[in-house]
Amino acid sequence: MKELSELDFPETVRYTEDHEWAAVDGDTVRIGVSDYAQDQLGDIVYVEMPEVGDMFEKGDEFGTLESVKAVSELYLPMAGEVVAVNDALLETPELINQEPYGSWIIEIRPTDPAEYEELMNAEDYVDMLRG
Amino acid sequence: MDELRTTRLHAWHLENGANMARFGLYDMPLWYPAGAKAEHLAVIESAGIFDTSHMAVIGLQGEGARGLLQFCFTKDLDRCLGKEKSPLVSGRCVYGVFLQPDGTVIDDAIVYQLGVNDYMVVVNAGMGGIVAEHLGLHKGGASLTIIDYTDKLGKMDIQGPLAGKILKKILRNADDALAGMVYFSCRGGCDGLQTPTAVALLDGSPILVSRTGYTGEFGFELFVAGENFVSLWQMVLAAGEDLGLLPCGLAARDSLRAGAALPLSHQDIGPWLFANNPWQFALPWQEGERVFSKDFLGAAALLAATDGEHTLPFAGFDLRKITVGKDTFVTDLQGDTIGQVLTCATDMAIGRVGGMIVSAATPAAEGRPEDFKPRGLSCGFVKVRKSLAVGELVILTDGKREIKVEIRQDIRPHRSARRPITAML
Repeated sequence: MKELSELDFPETVRYTEDHEWAAVDGDTVRIGVSDYAQDQLGDIVYVEMPEVGDMFEKGDEFGTLESVKAVSELYLPMAGEVVAVNDALLETPELINQEPYGSWIIEIRPTDPAEYEELMNAEDYVDMLRG
Repeated sequence: MDELRTTRLHAWHLENGANMARFGLYDMPLWYPAGAKAEHLAVIESAGIFDTSHMAVIGLQGEGARGLLQFCFTKDLDRCLGKEKSPLVSGRCVYGVFLQPDGTVIDDAIVYQLGVNDYMVVVNAGMGGIVAEHLGLHKGGASLTIIDYTDKLGKMDIQGPLAGKILKKILRNADDALAGMVYFSCRGGCDGLQTPTAVALLDGSPILVSRTGYTGEFGFELFVAGENFVSLWQMVLAAGEDLGLLPCGLAARDSLRAGAALPLSHQDIGPWLFANNPWQFALPWQEGERVFSKDFLGAAALLAATDGEHTLPFAGFDLRKITVGKDTFVTDLQGDTIGQVLTCATDMAIGRVGGMIVSAATPAAEGRPEDFKPRGLSCGFVKVRKSLAVGELVILTDGKREIKVEIRQDIRPHRSARRPITAML
């Protein structure tokens, strides 16, 4: 297990208590999981993703990550419509382990872009992880 | 909660980036930085080494030792070796279980005969005291001493087709030490647990080598005195460096044993009747009859059992699995609940080719396509209220996810555990 100091928490994204990250990209938001999450889960071997066009509320389960250890649900940090899913993860789910912030899982058009501001910044997220 | 125990390698695990978790009473590595998938595949294709010193060793010495084991352990020590069912002798070992009088499982174990009145019993983490106490309870006036070696010895498992080549590099007179060593045999000794043969490491320190394991693959379990343990681990790692050896954690151990259809004690066998399961070879059945070749604790309860619950191996059609919990069920294809899931893991070395399960170790001549890349299949055990035939389909569900799986006779094909040692050195 890596120490928190060995993990990467970029300040360019926001975080949730469930260890997803969100990054604004123009008028859409990309969603992935944090370096902490991938380190805890171990080898990610399968990603279940929604369909483009699916609508979700904030906090809805939008997919699952399957690691050698467990099956983990993915929760949406903000409400929105799925505009893209990262098909590369279907063949190479381990990209999430290798590059957790490069490997977005879905891209959404947020219903309320202001919800982004409610998410934790890197400092608050690391504080939460420290407990 | 009891204080978390550690093995002598705990600092090494932390220094080497292991992802740790509580297992039994111990803080153990789940995987190292290579990851559980690479570790699983290393054991199929080259070799892996596991810290298993959380497991417990019990010594039984004295004239009454064999008789006590005959009464408390399921295997018939007088009729257990090979097709001829010959008696257990010094330097051989057998797998069986310790049952309560009601036929439910206390723990599974390997019983080793070391000498004439000298036996060693290897049980699971945290079970040394419990099984030693159970044996003490039933010894009556028999003449023997029972010694619980919990946390005294170091134990590691080196598993995989190259395990013999690696072990050979660190043993004194290695060719003689390993020559002709059959599956489920042991040589050498340590700390008062001594077989008739001496085996030593290159530095002269004594070691007990057992050709057994918990992965379904060729390999050895190694026992040494506690103070020699960390140096042995380093020695094995150095010897295996150029052969693809990886240190492996409990995640790979679990996925390998699940694919080999081996039970995890207190998960697949436990405080329920040891009946209608794939491990009937642990019982002393008389061939072709519903009687046992000896009497033992729990025998009457097993013989009296009527058709109850059935424990069966399964394999899925892709690598998706179910997290086993209290809300996880097995249903038939109509959706009616018929039982529970005991183990659900992913064997990362296998995949389906047509109707067949193929392993990374399957020879091309036996159906492995040239471009075969294993994606992994979920597998494990279910406990259901009715008998199911091999090939029948059931659904595993946690209420949200549903996974269709097939009842199997066996799971990962072409395992190397039983290969003749001459082919492995």
